[in-house]
Order: sequence, then structure tokens, then C-alpha cells
Amino acid sequence: MAISNITWRMAERQIEDPKIAFAYLRPSCVLLTKEPTIVNVKTLSGHLRGVSDGALQQLQDYILFPLRFVLKTPGSKQESLISSVMEAMTYVLKNTCVQSWESLRDLFSELCLCLCSPKDPGKPGAASEELKLSVLGCMEALLHSAYGDIIFRLYEPCMLPGLGAAVSLFLALAENEKAREVKMASLKCLLMLCLQCDCEEEHVEPQKDERTLLGNALATFLPGVSRALSLVISGDLRQGHAVTSKAMKVWYKTVGTVMADEQCEETKSKRADNGEELIVKRTPLWRKTTSKRLALVLRKIISCTSAHPHWRVRLELVNLSHHLLSQCSQSIGECVGPLLEALVGAINDEEPEVKNRCSAALEDVAQKGQSSCGQDFTDVLSENLHSLASSLPRLMRTSDDHRKLFVLNVFLGYLKILGPKVNLVLTSAVHLERISKALMQVMELDVSDVKIIEGRALMASADFGHDLYPIPSQKKHFQHFTDDRVCTALGKICRMLGHYGSLYLLVDCFMELYKESSVYRKQAAMVLNEIIAGAAGVGVEMEMHKFKTNHEDLESLILSVVEEYISLSNWHLTTVSEANTESTASSREPICLQLHPVSKPPPLHQLNSNIWQICIQLEGIGGFAWALGTNFQPFLMRCLYPVLEKAGDESLLISQAAFKAMCDFCTACEYSSPKELVIKNSDYLLNDVSLNLARPSVHPHAPRVLSVMFTHSDASLLPLVADVVQDVLTELDLSYDQRTPPFCSVLHSLMKALVRWFPTSTGHQKSPGEETKKESCVSLRQFLLDYQKQKDLAEGIGVEEEDLDEMDIPPAVSDPDEDMEGPAVQKELPLRVQIAKDVMERCIHLLSDPSLRTRLKVLEILELSVYMLRDDEEELLPMVHRCWPALLQRLTNDDPLAVPPAFKLLCVLGDSCGDFLRKRVSKEVLPRLTASLVKQAEISARSGPAYIHTLAYKLQLAVLQGLGPLCVRLDLMDVDLDLVSDACVPYLSSRQPIKLQEACLSVFRSLMEQDPDLCWFTLNELYSPAPLHPPHPLLRPLEISRSDNRNQFSDNVQALLKQLDHEDPEDSYDQHLGTNST
Amino acid sequence: MSRPPPDPLYILRGSGAPVNTLHFYCGGDGPPLLYSGSGKGAVHVWNLNTRRAEQVLESHNSNSVIWLDTFDGSRSSLISQGRDMRLCLWDLSEGRSAVTDSLLTGAVGFCQCSLLESQPGSSLLAHPTQDMEEVSVVEMKSWTQVCSLRPDTKLGMLMSMKMWQADSGPVLCAGYEDGSIVLWDVSQRHPLSFLKPLPEPVMCLDVHVCSQKGISGSSEKILQSWTVDGQRTLQMHHSVQMTNPGVSQMRIRADGKILATAGWDNNIRVFGWKKLKPLAVLQHHTDAVNSVAFSDHQDPTQRLLAAGSKDQRISVWSIYSES
Repeated sequence: MAISNITWRMAERQIEDPKIAFAYLRPSCVLLTKEPTIVNVKTLSGHLRGVSDGALQQLQDYILFPLRFVLKTPGSKQESLISSVMEAMTYVLKNTCVQSWESLRDLFSELCLCLCSPKDPGKPGAASEELKLSVLGCMEALLHSAYGDIIFRLYEPCMLPGLGAAVSLFLALAENEKAREVKMASLKCLLMLCLQCDCEEEHVEPQKDERTLLGNALATFLPGVSRALSLVISGDLRQGHAVTSKAMKVWYKTVGTVMADEQCEETKSKRADNGEELIVKRTPLWRKTTSKRLALVLRKIISCTSAHPHWRVRLELVNLSHHLLSQCSQSIGECVGPLLEALVGAINDEEPEVKNRCSAALEDVAQKGQSSCGQDFTDVLSENLHSLASSLPRLMRTSDDHRKLFVLNVFLGYLKILGPKVNLVLTSAVHLERISKALMQVMELDVSDVKIIEGRALMASADFGHDLYPIPSQKKHFQHFTDDRVCTALGKICRMLGHYGSLYLLVDCFMELYKESSVYRKQAAMVLNEIIAGAAGVGVEMEMHKFKTNHEDLESLILSVVEEYISLSNWHLTTVSEANTESTASSREPICLQLHPVSKPPPLHQLNSNIWQICIQLEGIGGFAWALGTNFQPFLMRCLYPVLEKAGDESLLISQAAFKAMCDFCTACEYSSPKELVIKNSDYLLNDVSLNLARPSVHPHAPRVLSVMFTHSDASLLPLVADVVQDVLTELDLSYDQRTPPFCSVLHSLMKALVRWFPTSTGHQKSPGEETKKESCVSLRQFLLDYQKQKDLAEGIGVEEEDLDEMDIPPAVSDPDEDMEGPAVQKELPLRVQIAKDVMERCIHLLSDPSLRTRLKVLEILELSVYMLRDDEEELLPMVHRCWPALLQRLTNDDPLAVPPAFKLLCVLGDSCGDFLRKRVSKEVLPRLTASLVKQAEISARSGPAYIHTLAYKLQLAVLQGLGPLCVRLDLMDVDLDLVSDACVPYLSSRQPIKLQEACLSVFRSLMEQDPDLCWFTLNELYSPAPLHPPHPLLRPLEISRSDNRNQFSDNVQALLKQLDHEDPEDSYDQHLGTNST
Repeated sequence: MSRPPPDPLYILRGSGAPVNTLHFYCGGDGPPLLYSGSGKGAVHVWNLNTRRAEQVLESHNSNSVIWLDTFDGSRSSLISQGRDMRLCLWDLSEGRSAVTDSLLTGAVGFCQCSLLESQPGSSLLAHPTQDMEEVSVVEMKSWTQVCSLRPDTKLGMLMSMKMWQADSGPVLCAGYEDGSIVLWDVSQRHPLSFLKPLPEPVMCLDVHVCSQKGISGSSEKILQSWTVDGQRTLQMHHSVQMTNPGVSQMRIRADGKILATAGWDNNIRVFGWKKLKPLAVLQHHTDAVNSVAFSDHQDPTQRLLAAGSKDQRISVWSIYSES
């Protein structure tokens, strides 16, 4: 504490004058010499800090003497004493220079003695780590402080034994010592001995001669250094990255000094001078053998550091490769390959610093290589590439993902360095074959997953959002690796190939593989996709070379690839097994059979493989769009239809991929959404659709595409669409038997679209209901007034008034217009009406189709067509008339599944045609329906809870729900209503399923609107809660067979009666009676 | 076994009216074009690369356009003939669509004009006139009449014609209502030869100048070809029977290898020109085919056949183009 205080104070004013300093230091020096104790050492070192550097320099020998004396005194000393001596010496050495060779030599050997064991000067002694550390620190300080002209004397042949002992000492410390600091310190000393220290202090810069001297000396120790350091480098990871990288540094600096190219010739001339026994003669032969040995060591070093988890180690490897390649690439010929490999392997390192350092190094190396021996360099690279390609499949099978990634990065690195020169490699058939086959094997997909085929699109036609939302690209499962980064690296390799290689050559090669075998097809497609992307510069980091492929070439190549992708045999692959097909869509079965004459279902993996192939091709087409940008527009002519076809595919993977491709199209061609894409290019689509409709066996999906289009386009397309609709109808007419189901769905989507496009007619839909409602609200008084008026009119009273009233009603005006056209000219119908009529006409035939599925669909289509024709009664009614017989069959004699939709259609018809159907319904439909209702009522009343899952129940429910509105809309009267109410009464029973009761209540509510009196009577007959009193004593009491006992109908009847009373207020009832009485 | 007839390469939709006449232009810079004239007076300029109408010209007061041609070897100089008895010259350069000049012919029939570029920069135009039998040949730039050709005997209405440059000067071949074909020497203004291959009106004719051979069609099932021999007289040559009667137009491809006819039976028929061997029946249209045209693209593989029909579509075919 006291000393440090003094130190601090003295530091402010150090003694400059050597004389004063001498006087100041002398006592403590003397004291130390006399009594070598820790206290005395500390006192001295405390005083030392009070003296300036200049004074210290002058007094250096004097001050060092007592300290060295302490070390030299024989006998065992305390470690702490030596430590403090070392500390003091380190201080002195750090602040002064060693100017005399003798003191350097003596200090050097004394320090070495402190480290080594007393018996063997080459082995470290058993001192504590702290002591070793302080000695090493002192040694470092000594070497730093040595004057430039004397330090080289260390390397003179006569010094070799001492130097050798020191080197082996340091190596042993670095190798065997546990403590990290000691390892580091000894490595630092070694580095210092190579005169390659990397610390910030000033260093001696050796001249050429001196370098040779250094090289000669170090050559002697090279074997030992290499052995020991390689052990350190490959040592336990726990030693820390700093040790590993420092050891690497020492190694490559040593090697670089010894094997330096510039010293090759020098040694020959100077050989004669050095007659020493120990010195190694660096003859060419020696160089050769050494280089071989070094290559072995190098491989070991690279193998344990190239994938080192710590980036500083990897950075050091880059430095190593760079240093050796630039310093001694000629003398260590064997090592160039591995060095390049190591360098290249780091080019895609995750750590940016490593990456940058590496690319800088590579550029440097490449430049040097090109300038001096470019051919050799390229040869080495291409040879490396070739051997790597050969071993790639094996490596991908056997090693772990980390190693695979490294190997691929190396591959990529080679391509990067080769740059445009990669063509030299590719033009060699052997090389190209190797590379392509390697890629084929490496990129093999794993198609055994059951999920691939099981993923089903929820909707047959993908829903195209209004915006482009990012879709994650599908994860591919590869056979040989699982890591995504491996896949990314492969993609980069292919893109790099495409970027630098001759595109024609590559596309040709991989197209050949694509066609060659189905085993390669998927991989080849993947590679092609990436190659083309790379050629267009998509996803390639271009820092050094701006290299663009000719746009026309690119387009023509893309065209040929696209043609191949969407050719029938590569596009229309079976993706669903027949068993599946039957269950999902019976319609598709014949199609599959046509494509595959052998009806044996293909195995699962084949289907999976097909699915993936289509996905990859779709991905590719999307990628091409990216590659071409707006120039892709003409390709839409060819691509859009096939892609849209796949967008409706049942397989989830495929439809997603197709949708993604469409999004890519949008981005490339600047459409805001797939919807816009479809609308703006509907002419292209329709062209393909109409052509393909005529070839159903080859293009079974044209109807599907058309449906998708209808779903997404808008009314502006009607003229174009109308044209194709004619094609559809013609085609349908030609083949009613086989092709009905797909066409039905087309017509369905068409009608749905029409209803959507012309909503005015659908808006009209509700008005009749509202009107009836209003009518029902008309008060009794109004009714009577109207009745009176009608009666008067019939008798001829007030006719003139009516005429006057109707003067301003327009119909009279519109008449002449029609006359002008003349009766012979048929009015040209609006397109939509014409289409709806045409469609309806086909539906009439299809309504009796043997397939239930078709009949159901047709019923839906008819419903939509009726909506469309609602406004044109003169078109609608004849169609309804023609439709009627078939519809009647559906209502009365069909499968229970068909009856509810048929009944729904009837309701819609009733809504639109009103009284046109009244008679038919009451005569042909109602009796049957009511009869069946009555019959079923007994069954449902007795049924258990499972009944609600039966068809019969659903039928009952549908009829009961629809019956009420139907009665109102058709304005049924008297007998018909009786029929209905009689049929419904059983359903008021509390024994019926609750839903049926509710539906029945709704029927009665409708009946109340239609004929409240009838309702009242019927209900009271079932159950009347209160005795009936005539409202006026003059009236006779009612005599009906009422039952006031609570029974199964009580609850529902009571509810209805309450409603009836509520809707029919007393006063109007009174009024009614009142008018009657007067 | 012969291959099945191909499908159309693509269909051009959206003319909105029957397509009466077609004309290709594939020269110059820019995409190949197809001009079509519709029954409602619209002229569509179709870009065959994008397969879309680049421009729609409303012309002839919504009267039917019955004939179109380009002149001056330029894609932007168009001449159209309408049923409003007018000929219009159009300037379409740089997106313009202006009528630069027009001529009232007074002709009410269906006979199409014929344009002959005799020397660069000067063209002769043969057009029907108010007088049903007369052909008037005018100089394009000034509309000055070069000659008026009227047969001495009564042959009925002028139905169709074609003018070309022979060694001795411009020659015109005209077909008349009574089925006769007359070869006129335009500069001498006198008929060179008469031929009456068929009794029905000559609905259409075409002449292949290199082979000195022409062909005519009528409302009958027979197509009759004839030669023009050294003395410039017409001689009957081959004839061929079709399945269904009625031809509205026929064209011989520039290389003289095939002949295409636009049939009233909705079909396009292709014959070998040498012996009139039936080669193919192209089925697509759902109504009578009004017009056929061969493209003059420099690259033979890109030469196309287009057909315009009453069903408002234009079908484009690639046939026998690899040879």
C-alpha cells in the first residue's frame, strides 16, 4: 500500500538526472545484493518507478545486476522471490533497450534456466504457473527490448543449441501446460522468436539477409514446431479459441519464414558458408520432403479448424491460407490444394468478418495466380472441383450436416473464384458429367412421406386474395440431409453455375438429365430452376463481377424449358390414386383411366414423386417470371393456363405451389393481385380453355380452369365469356354421357358469377316477400274498402275515374317502340339473359341425369338461372314450363337426397313465377308432399334421438321449413291450405323432434298470414285453452269439437293462438263484426 | 396414315361482329400484325405477339368493312373498303388513327378491290363502281382514273377480281355474276381472254402469278382452276369437288404450295396447289368462314393462316409451315 502510494506520487515527477537516479537507486540495489529478500526486491522496484526511462537506460546494467544476482545465487529460492525479481526485470526491460549482445545472451539463457527443470534444459521445470507466467512475461519483454542489430545474433549457428532449448521449452509449455495464460505466453514468446510478433509495440523489421538467417535457424526446429503446434491446434476445444488461433499463427509464421519462396535461390549460393553441423541445409530435396510432411500437418490442421465453432479460429485459418499461399506457394506445392480448399471453404462463412477477409484474400490470391501462373492456378482449382464433385455424393451420404455444409461451401467457393473461367471446367465433358451427376445424387428428394399426398386443398379452386400475401415456400425433404442451410447452399451452387457458366451448355446438360430418367427428373428441374435464376442474376451476390446473360438467349432458353415442363407427359401426372379418386370425385375416374391405360394404381411414392415434380416445375415457372420481370408477359400466353389448372388441383402442395407461381407472375408483370392477373389475361386463358375443351381426353381440366376464371373475373368479361360459354355448351351437347359432371360445375360457377355480376336482379329477389308482408298487414278495414271498390268496378261504377288515374302510367308509351321493331324481328336479348336461357335449356335435360350428384348440381344451377331470368318473365315462364315435368319427378319420385334441393328450387320458382305455378303445385305437388308428411309424422313421433340423423328427418325438416313461404308466395287458398294444415298438425305434437316442431310452427305462422280464420279453427280444434265466448251476446256461440284437456298439442297451439290474437287485435275484429251487423 | 388436322394455334376474340376480311403485315420493325375488318365497321389491328388488339378503328359509319390492305410497304398505311361505298386511306403511324383521304366509289356490291404496287411509290387500285359491271383502275396518289374496264357482252355484276403485274404490264382477272372469268389487259383496256368454268356467280378467285395459274370458287361444291398460257388466254385446268357447297374466299400461299378456302360450311379447307389434292379440313368455327389469309412472315416457320368467320372469331393456324 505504502509503495504504491509512493509510486503514484513519484510518477508525477520522475527523476531525470542519471546521477540523482543512481544515488536514489543505489541503496536499494546494494541492499538487495546483500540480502536477497522479497521486501528488498519490492523496495527496489518501487524506487525504479521513480526514475525516468532515460535514466533507467543508462543505469540498466547496474540495476539488472542485483536482480540477476538473486537468480544466480545457488540454492533453492522462494518462488515468490523469483516472481518479484521477474516483475522488476520486466519493468526495467519494458522501459529500456538491451544494447549489448552479451547481456541479451546472458539474460536469455538465465531466463531459460528459470523455466527448465534442473536436469534437462529442454523440459520445463516443476514451477508454479504464476512463476512460469512471470518468467515468460520477462522473456517477452527481453525479446522486445533487444536492439535490432543484436537480436539476429541469436540465430547464428553457434546459438542454435540454446535457441533450440528455448524453443522446445516453449513448445513443451504450450503443449502440456494446463493454464491458458501460460500457453498463450509461451506461444507469444515463440512468435517473438520468429520475429513475427503481432502486438502493438515496435518491432525489428528483418532485412533480406536477416530473413535468410532466421529461416535457416528456424528450419532446424520446423519438425518439432510443426508436431507440437499441430497437437496444440487439434487439442481440446476447452483450451479456448485464443490458444488455437495463436498456435496456428505461430505455425504458419514459422512455415512462412522457413519455406519462403524468396529464400529458395538464396540458400543455394550461401550454402558453403555455414559449416555448422546443426544447421539444416535447405536443399530442393529437403524442401520437397518437408513440403510433403507439411501437407500432412496442414491437412490435420485444416480438418480440425475449418469447421471450428469459433469464428476467430476460422478467421485465423483464412489468414493461414492466405499467408502461406502468398509467401511460399511454390516451395510447398503439395499444400496449395488443401490451402485453397480451406480458403474457399470459408468464403461463405456465416461470420461476415471471416467472409470479408476471405474474399479479400481470395481476390489477392486469384490475382497473383492469374498474373504469374494463371493456368496452373485454374488447373488446381478445376482439379479440386473435380475431385470434390466426385466425392460429393459419398460425403453427402456419410458425414454430418455440418460437414456437408462445409463441403458445399467449398464447392461454391471454387465456383466463385473460377468465376467466368468455370466454363473451362464445364466444357470438359468429364467434369460436367461429374458435377451434374453429383448434384443429381445429392439433391435426391425423400418422397416417402404420406402427408404429401394426404394434403388436400380445402377448396377446389384456390381463393385468390386481393393482395399478394407471402406464401412460405414448401419445405422439401431430401434424402441425404435435413439442414435447410445445406439446401440453400446447393441452390447457391446452382445459381453460381448458371451465373458464370455457359447457359446453353448447362441447360442442355440438365434438360438431357431431365428427359433421361424419372429418377433424375425432379433434381434436374430444381437445378434448372436455380441455374436460370442465377443466369438472370436473381439471388447471386455479385460483388466482383458484373456478368449478365444475353436477354434473348435467356428468353429462348426459358421458353424451351417451360415448353418441356408443361408438355403433356410432364405436366399431367397422376397425383391421386384411383381409390382416392373414386371416393372424392367419381367424375375424375374415367380421366385417370384414359391417362393410364393400365389400371393398376401407382405406388404411393410414385404419386408423391409426381406431386413434387409438379411443384418443382411450378416453382421453376414462378422463378422464371422473377428472372424475366416484365419481359415475362408474353410467357403468360403459355404458362398462365397450365398454372391456373394446377391452382385448382386437389393436392394441397400443388395448389399452393401454383398459387405461389401466380403471385410470382403478379410481382414480375406488375399486377396487384392474382385476381387482376386472371382478369387482365383472361383472353389468353379463354383461348386455351376453348381449345382444350375440345380435347377432353388430353385436357380434362379445362372446365376447372374455366370455373376458376368465372369465380374471379367480373362483368366486363361477359362478351368474351359468352363466346366460350357457347363452346362449353356445344361440347356438353356433344357428350352428355361422360362429361356432364365437370361441365355442370362450370355452369354452376358461371351462373354464380352471373348472379354476382348483375346483382340488380338478385336485389329484386326480396321484394315479393316484402310485398306479401305488407299485404298481410293491411287492415281488415282496408280489405273491405278494396273489396267494395273492386265490386263497384265490376259493376261499372267509377270507371271514368280510373281512366283518369291511369293516364300518366307509362306502359302506353313503351308500346309504340315495340311496334316499330316489327313483329318479325326477334328482340335481341341481353347476353346474360341469353346465357342463362341457354344454360337452363341444358339443365332441363340434365335434371333427369342418372347420377344423383349431377341432379343435385343441376338443381342448384337451375335455381341460379331462375334468379337471372327473374326480370324477363317472357323468357322465364316458358323455360319453367319445360322444366316442370322433370322437376316434378325430382320432387316426388327421387332419392330422398334430391328432394330437399328440389323443394328449395320449387320455393324459388314460386317466388319468381308466383301464380304461374299455383295450379301445378296444388294439383301435382301438394298432395304427394302432404301425404308423405302425414305418413312420416307417425314415424318421427315415435322415434328416438338418433332419428335426427336420418334422411327422412332431413326431408321432413326441409319440406316443413319451405312449405310456409311457398304457400304465401303461391298465394294458395282454401283446399290447398287445408291440405297443408292437416299435414302439419301432427307436427305440433310435443312428441315430435323439437326442430320439426319449430318448422311446423313457421308453417302455421305463414298460414296465419294467408288465412287466419282457418288457422284459428284448426288450432282450436286441437286444443283450446279458454272457453270460447261470443264477443257479442247477439251472436250464437260457436259449436266446434274443442278439447280443453291438455294434450300433446297444447304447448304449440297455445303459442300460436297467442300470436294469432296478437296479430289480430280486438278492435279490427270488432270492426269486422260491426260492419257485418250493420 | 395422315395426321389428324391440327387445332388452331390460337383464337382472336373480341371483334364483336362477323369478321369479313383479313390482312397480314409482317414486314418492317415491330411485331407482326393482322388487320381485320368487321361487319360493324370496326378495323382491328391485332398484334400477333401479344395476340391482342392494339388498335381498333371505327370506320365507314359502322357499315361493313369488306376489304383491307396496306400500301407503300408500311404497316401504318392502310386502305379499307366499306359498304358505305367508300374507300378510306388511314395513317396509323405513331398511334394515330386518322383517315387521310377517301374515295366515293358508289359501288354497292360485295366485290373487293385489288391493289397493285406497279412501281415503288405508285400504286394502281382496281375498284368496282356504281355501274355494276365496270372495273375502274385508278392511280392511288391522285385518284386519277387510268382506265375503265367494261365487258362488251352482258356478264352480270362484277363479283371478284385480282390485278397483277405481267411482263407486258398490269393484268386484271375479274369474275362475274354469270360465272365467267375475264382476263383484262389494263394498259390496252381490252379483254385478253374469256372463260366460263361454272354457271354460278364467281364468289372468289385467286391467281398465283409465278405458276400462271388461278382458281375460282362459287356457291357450288366445285373449285375450278385455270391457267394463263403464253398467249395470255385462259385454259381450264384441274377441278376439285368439296363436300359442302359455297366458298367465300380463297388464297394461294405465296410459295405456291397450298391453297386455303373459306367455306360456308364453317370449315377451312386446305388443298395442295399443284394438283388440288385435298389435304386438310380445319374445323373450329361455328358459322360460315368469310375470309382466309396467309401471313408473309420472313421466317417460313412463323408463317400463319388466319380465318375470319361470321361467328366473330378469327382462328389462327400454323399449317405445313415446316416444309
